Amino acid sequence: MARKLSPLVSGGPVGLLPVSITVLFAIFMLLPIGSGVANVTMPNLVLISVFYWLSSRPLLMPYGACAGVGLALDFWLDVPLGLNMLILLMARLFVLGQLKHYKGRNRLLYWAVFSVMSFGLYAMSWLIMAAVSGQVWSVKPLFLQWLVTAFSYAPIAVFLGRVRRWMQ
Amino acid sequence: MNSTIQSTNLSSGSSEGRRHARGRRSFWVYTAIAITFILLETFGSGVPVQIRAFANDIVGPVLSLLERPVRAVQGGLERLAGASDIYVENQKLRAENDLFRQWKEAALQLSRENERLRLILKAPKREILPAATARVIGVGGGTFERSVLVSAGSGDNVEPNFPVEDENGLIGRVLHVGYLTSRILLITDLNSRIPVRLERTGALAIAEGQNEAFLRLRFLPKEAEVKVGDRILTSGHGGLFPPDMPVARVSEIDGEFIYLQPLGLLGTLDYVRIMAYRAIPDEEKLLLDGQEADG
Repeated sequence: MARKLSPLVSGGPVGLLPVSITVLFAIFMLLPIGSGVANVTMPNLVLISVFYWLSSRPLLMPYGACAGVGLALDFWLDVPLGLNMLILLMARLFVLGQLKHYKGRNRLLYWAVFSVMSFGLYAMSWLIMAAVSGQVWSVKPLFLQWLVTAFSYAPIAVFLGRVRRWMQ
Repeated sequence: MNSTIQSTNLSSGSSEGRRHARGRRSFWVYTAIAITFILLETFGSGVPVQIRAFANDIVGPVLSLLERPVRAVQGGLERLAGASDIYVENQKLRAENDLFRQWKEAALQLSRENERLRLILKAPKREILPAATARVIGVGGGTFERSVLVSAGSGDNVEPNFPVEDENGLIGRVLHVGYLTSRILLITDLNSRIPVRLERTGALAIAEGQNEAFLRLRFLPKEAEVKVGDRILTSGHGGLFPPDMPVARVSEIDGEFIYLQPLGLLGTLDYVRIMAYRAIPDEEKLLLDGQEADG
């Protein structure tokens, strides 16, 4: 009996769209827009994209894809290797565990769940960075980026929603 | 019929179970890999710098392509915003131009005089030639580091630790060099320490990055007099940066805390100049020579 193909592959180019958009978002995060100094004011588009696709089409964003995108982001952002990889893996674990509680409910609830999850993941990344570098990092830029990311969820989710409808 | 439905349910249930089991296994495998990477970084045996530089080279051309329309839109918006002030701006620039012409003459005269005196004293030249002029095509570090990616690499004779400046002053130094791109550690990064001196008094100190928009002046002698507005230049100590490069201006004095505003326009970096200045003595070369001698 032939082995069942992963939805990521069996869906063809459309099935690869969530991962492709997430990679494009990762590259977009590197562009010197606005401050041109650091992506403090740039929302974490990758985290938003990963959360959105996991909440709507979890099979199209498997663990391997989360790990791959996270690893690329670690290289490109020049942060300790494994940091974004771990964050995206944890995001998938969290969403798959909690999806039954909020799936199909009010969009505001999705927003709230994303805000809570991203806060936890940012706190985790701060702890990892502190452990890796052996120094206490300033919390202010991290808090600012979490705030920008949490507020940016709604407009980006609307955009991704349009893409998802186009996929169907 | 019922038995068919039951067997279908059972088989879909078991395939669901298999998928969950595979998912759990994947999670633990990838998590173990991520934790291994983090541990390697923690204990200082992380990924070789060259692999990171190679990863930047892959994304560099894409960023260069995407960065163009972004810059065009930014430029267009700036032009639209400035269109109303164009007449006043023009008048101001004409006046400044006249003033700069006079300054240019004075500067050329001083430069010639300086050259003659150096020749008489047989003093070495202090001119540093640029290795490359590059464009900022990307930013990095997220919230933890202050670095930018520029469109010049080893193919343009860029080497690690070369100082980088914009039209106003020092902005950082080269951290990783790929063939097409290089990563620049900005002076505002938490890991940046620059030996500096106060232009007015010559007092020596260290300008420390804080991962914020400002720097902090540390290890300034207690008797040193410092005022808001004082310019800070590189001292040349340590050999990493050449002396007399403008770095920052004192923006605030709060007891023992002296804050500096970088002179380089770190918020709107576009083109930067990478200076071909090698540390004296070249520590890496000395280390390699020593290793060869030992071998």
